[in-house]
Amino acid sequence: MSGALMDLGWEVRRAGERLVGAPIGRVDETTWEVFSAHLTAVVREAAAAGAPLVIDLSALEYMSSRGLRALTIARREAGEATPITLAAPNERMREIFAISRYDKLFKIVDDVDADA
Amino acid sequence: MRVRFWGTRGSLPVAPTAEVIQAKIAQALVAAGGRSFADAAEADAFARQSLDFATYGAYGGATSCVEIEGAEGTFLICDMGSGLREFGIDSFRRIAGGHPPAYHFFLSHLHWDHIMGFPFFGPAFNPAATIVIHSGHADAETALRRQQEEISFPVPFDWLRAKFEFVVHKPGETFDVGGVAVTLCAQHHSHDSYGYRFEKGGRAAIYSTDSEHKIDNMESEAAFEAFFKDADLVICDTMYSLGDTVSLKQDWGHSSNVVAVDLCHAAHARRLALFHHEPTYTDADIQRMHAETVRYEELVRADRPALEVICAYDGLEVAV
Ligand SMILES: [Zn+2]
Ligand SMILES: [Zn+2]
Repeated sequence: MSGALMDLGWEVRRAGERLVGAPIGRVDETTWEVFSAHLTAVVREAAAAGAPLVIDLSALEYMSSRGLRALTIARREAGEATPITLAAPNERMREIFAISRYDKLFKIVDDVDADA
Repeated sequence: MRVRFWGTRGSLPVAPTAEVIQAKIAQALVAAGGRSFADAAEADAFARQSLDFATYGAYGGATSCVEIEGAEGTFLICDMGSGLREFGIDSFRRIAGGHPPAYHFFLSHLHWDHIMGFPFFGPAFNPAATIVIHSGHADAETALRRQQEEISFPVPFDWLRAKFEFVVHKPGETFDVGGVAVTLCAQHHSHDSYGYRFEKGGRAAIYSTDSEHKIDNMESEAAFEAFFKDADLVICDTMYSLGDTVSLKQDWGHSSNVVAVDLCHAAHARRLALFHHEPTYTDADIQRMHAETVRYEELVRADRPALEVICAYDGLEVAV
């Protein structure tokens, strides 16, 4: 759980009122910790700015259950005040959301600019 | 070793109603499409080939009971769910064929669905039988005696004729039973539960049921990865979807198919058996969950060797 931590990229940007966090690569047992740390930070940033948060998944290859559980932790931290939307998942990620039933827990939209 | 599933259902035994059987027959007749068969064997061969498991077969409804065959001179049995009754009957047959009347049980925990078969375990009345009950719980004997108290059952524990021994083990301390090395692992569940690792001749089988992998306790994931390490077969509690385990059914003490796959991947296990099926699931529901799990394994496999995902059913035998 150390050498591979650099494998996950992460970018944060503004999109109008919203804050957008974008993981790049894949989230599995080697990268979930850095993913979770970035998520926590961006949730806090969004909360401080009073901005809704969008997680842009367009550059994410996939995430395993480690990443999905990190999303749940992030949402607990965000609470009602900071809504989290998942945007632009690839086909593989859509299947993973369906199989894990996370499609019933999170709002998932086709692209980042979709009405959040 | 050889693993034999006598009960694979979680929480409560279930049985198909007439309606369920009638629907299977109707589907089979539709699939036959007016063919004629010379005899039942020919019809059976056609059905076996052309129907899916949920139609031709059934996952069964007995609660947790899994036999690990391969020890010298003794039966090894994980849990005493309602599937234990059938195992007890079968063991009489094998004893008549020369197998010693020795039984070693390994209890995951003491919830009702994991001990309810014991009052119906015929060999407990055999004065020649020895029954050793291994557990991580100091109160295993209390639990078994209590369910046979007069208020719950007509035959008290003290009427049983077999020679009993209760042995409490510490997690991580390996012991030997008939040439099989056994190790316990503490699991997160109401009143605690324990997983078991069985090793013989360089092969390893894991029995890990009623185990919740908490969302915010990723440190314990490392302990399970080590416990499952390079296992040939991992039997895992996959009762709920991941979504359910982090929302409505959080803290109900169970795990999901996708977490089981991820743990097995990280541990480089070779084969995963889905287990402790939700009692409200139909055969079609369990079959769908199995297909989804196979697909999930492909989606997150990356460059790892393939993990074979099988779905446990009452009567399944797996060579390890
Ligand atoms: Zn159970
Ligand atoms: Zn239980």
